Parts: sequence; structure tokens; C-alpha cells
Amino acid sequence: MEYVNPEGLRLDGRRFNEMRQIVAEVGVVSKADGSAVFEMGNTKVIAAVYGPREIQNKSLQKKDDHALVLCEYSMAQFSTGDRRRQKFDRRSTELSLVIRQTMEACILTELLPHSQIDIFLQVLQADGGTRSACINAATLALADAGIPMRDLAVSCSAGYLNSTPLLDLNYVEDSAGGADVTVGILPKLDKVTLLQMDAKLPMETFKTVFALASEGCKAIAERIREVLQENTKQLEYRRAA
Amino acid sequence: MGLPDSSQDLSTEMEVDAFRRIFPLRFFERHLSESLRPDARPLGKARDTIVNPGLVSTADGSALAKIGSTTMLAAIRMEVMTPSTDSPDEGCIALEFHMPPICSPTVRPGRPADAAPVISKRLSDTILSSGMIDLKELCLVSGKAAWMGYLDIYCLNADGALFDAALLSAVAAFSNLEIPVVALNDNGRIVAISGGKDEDNASIIEKKAVNKEKRKLTLKNIPFSLTCILHKKYILADPTTEEESIMDTLVTVVLDSSDQMVSLYKSGGTVLAYSSAVKSCVELARKRAKELKQILGEMDID
Repeated sequence: MEYVNPEGLRLDGRRFNEMRQIVAEVGVVSKADGSAVFEMGNTKVIAAVYGPREIQNKSLQKKDDHALVLCEYSMAQFSTGDRRRQKFDRRSTELSLVIRQTMEACILTELLPHSQIDIFLQVLQADGGTRSACINAATLALADAGIPMRDLAVSCSAGYLNSTPLLDLNYVEDSAGGADVTVGILPKLDKVTLLQMDAKLPMETFKTVFALASEGCKAIAERIREVLQENTKQLEYRRAA
Repeated sequence: MGLPDSSQDLSTEMEVDAFRRIFPLRFFERHLSESLRPDARPLGKARDTIVNPGLVSTADGSALAKIGSTTMLAAIRMEVMTPSTDSPDEGCIALEFHMPPICSPTVRPGRPADAAPVISKRLSDTILSSGMIDLKELCLVSGKAAWMGYLDIYCLNADGALFDAALLSAVAAFSNLEIPVVALNDNGRIVAISGGKDEDNASIIEKKAVNKEKRKLTLKNIPFSLTCILHKKYILADPTTEEESIMDTLVTVVLDSSDQMVSLYKSGGTVLAYSSAVKSCVELARKRAKELKQILGEMDID
């Protein structure tokens, strides 16, 4: 099947280095300490952060002087094209762990000892790149909750089909069987927190795909920063009034 | 309670927010005696309600309903199944209400919220008993194939009156629902039609009217609900979570579009409801049903 036509357009009309449309909004769940909606094309994710709050299960606490970060990833029953999903399948558990470790690396947990930070992610629509959308949404929600972080954790995916590196795969491109590289970066510190890849790639190609994904991450970081600054301006107006 | 005097003394010295947290009942009663609530609503008024259909593109029908901050997202997926032998002409609806941990600080991961299965059952009973949906419309081939509708309602923000918002989102999702086009192929199996192919069209049997185009369900007797709190001699319509946590007697009245009562629900609580209180609740529900009917009507035109 042709994923990139000879003119260089993909199935949805994008070029190889174009991302899908991003919609990001902060403060959507009023009951949560911090929350955000993040959409990448048709993939829609809601993140809600509760914390810092009292630790509910002391047996999970490993480091006494650091905050405990918990993460739960779940997909709505109607989120994918084929019918129902089992609520807590292995993929959800794996993603919960991956996202927790990514966010834990960028939260300054030593500033909030004896407390717990809960990050809940709900996927409302899945069209490829849910992992990345969740990390981006979690970053926005943590910032909205005022939790101190080293940097914004942003994530983007890239793949390799029809001998072309492609940025931000959707579901059809992802299931094509080519490589799928997901990268999570702390942009200001220029450090990689998450790197996952399935399928085989020659080393040089991998470097190209990785570089493409990093570029995508930087673009998302810009966007997230804009959203947060706009949000802060709004808060300032309301406070001054 | 041995503290009433001390709260009188402290109320003049304390900040409003602190008083609200420490003496919540007195805080609310101060407002109720002026026939107001802390968010400046009159006692019988519900919060601003918004309904947005068709948000989930992967579902056959969906809607988002917001009453104040309480947000519910409902989505329906249709699947073909074999009907049971005692009702070969009828399809089926399976309803599930989820409260994911994002919606409220009281919901813990791994432990489903207490309210979720209760609301799930009440919703299911209300929708089936109201007769809103004629299950015969969901039939494809009598005795062999019928539609099963999986309705999933997710609470995205829990701020009181969960049942009302969930019912509204379910009704809106049903009115947004478009049944997909299918055909019976040579093996006797139902297959979905994506484009219009001639060989598929040729094998459609007597269900032509069903399968030609995406069709909507006819909804009659649409149920509308209103939850009220009874407290001493006051009746508060459409409570928030804060109000529900302080005053525990809730009454839910469900009326349908022809003004008949579909259900009345009062599950205990410290306040006993005299018939006058129940009548007032029904009156408030009647007014609310008119508002909701108008909101749904506006949504359909879009």
C-alpha cells in the first residue's frame, strides 16, 4: 500500500515533516487541581492532576523525602474503531508505567516530601500517537496544577514508510508495519527522557527518524509554552479585576 | 451539637472561605434564609446547561452534556447480534456509566466509585421503562440479526447532579445516533457497507428501507430529570457536590415529554418528605423538563 504518493503527500495530505493539528486547552476539569485537553489530529486525551495530596497507600512509598507520583492511563470504550476494549489490559498498564516514569523524571519530587501526585489520563479518541498526546497533556495539567517541574516534558512520534521518515503517525500509518519511534524530550535541557521503538531500522535511518521526532517535540514545546503563557495572562487579568 | 454559640462568635472574625469549610451547614443556611445559594442561584433554578452532539467521530452517535461544571460524554456503538428467542424482533441496549478518576478527587484508581453502578442501573431502568426507544426498530432480520447498542457514558467532571447530566447526555446521544448501513451477504452474515457497491446492494433482502441510508431512531416519550435536595423547609434544585455533601436528602423526579412521571427516587436521608414537598419537586421538575426540551430542540436543528 502506498503511504506516501510520488508527490510526497501522505494519506491525509500532509508532507513528511508536517504534524497534525494541535488543540490544547488548560483547566477543563474544575474539580481537579490541574487539567488539560490535548488533541493531535483525531487523537483526543484529557489529563487531570490531583496533588500534592496526602499519600493514600503508604506501602507504595519508596523514598521518604520524595513525592510519590502515580499515573493511570485508560481508554474509553468508544475510543477506537473496533469495539470494546478490556478496561485494564496489558497495554494500558505498560503505558501507565512509561508515562509515570517520564513525568517523574521531570517533576521536582524532592520539593514535596510525604505527598502524592496523581496523574490520570483518559483517552477519548485514539488515532495513533496516544502515548505522545498523553505525555503532552500531562505536562500541561501538571503546569496548571502548579507542581514544580524541571522542564516541560514533550513527546512526539515518527516512523519510516516507503523509504521516507514520517513525522507524527496516525493509526493507519502506525499499523502499516514500519518502524514507530516515540521520543520524549525535555526541550530546554535538551535531554531525552523517553525513547521507544518497534521494528527494525538501520542505524543511519534511525538517526534521521529520531532527529525528525525531536524537531516535532520542539515544535510542540513551543505550542505548549504559548498555551501556558496565554493561560497565565488570563489569570492575571482576572486577579487584577 | 454543642458548638452553635462558638460559631456565632467566630463568624464575625473569620474569613468567608474558612467559615465555609469549618461550618458548612451554617454557611449554607445563612444563604438559604435569604432564598439564595452561594453561587447566587435562586433555590428552584438549575445551572446553565449545554448540550453538544456528535463529538466522538469513532462512535455512531455521541453527545456531551454540561450542567454547570458537571460534564458527561456519552457515545453509542452499534453491533450486530442474534436476538433472543423470546423476542426475535427486538434489538437491545447495553448501558454503562463510568466514573474515571479524572472526574473527582474522591475517586481512587483501581476502586470504582460508589455512585457509579447505582447511577448505571438507574439510568438503564429509566431509559428502558420510559419507552423512549422502540426496540423493534433495532431489528434487522427477524430471529436472525438485530442491533445491539452499547452506550457508554463517561463522567469527565463530577460536580453534583450526576444522574441528571448523564440522562441528558444519553438522550442527546440517542437523538444524534445514525444507524450504519449494512447488507446481508451470501453467507447470511451482516456486513457493513462503506461505499455503495452494486453486488452488495443486490443481496439486500427485505430490509431495504433499513439499509438504504443511515437512519435515525424515532424517540418518543423522552425522559427529563431533576434532582432536588430537601433540607428543613427548603427545596434546592440541581445541587452541586458541595451541597450534596452537606445535605444528604436527595429526590430525583423523572418526567417525560408528555408530562407523565417516569420515575421518582428518594433513597433515605435525614429529611422525611411530606406529600407537599414531593409535589413541589414535581413542579420544579416540570419546569426543568420544559427548559431541557427546548435545549434539545435547538440541538437537533443544528
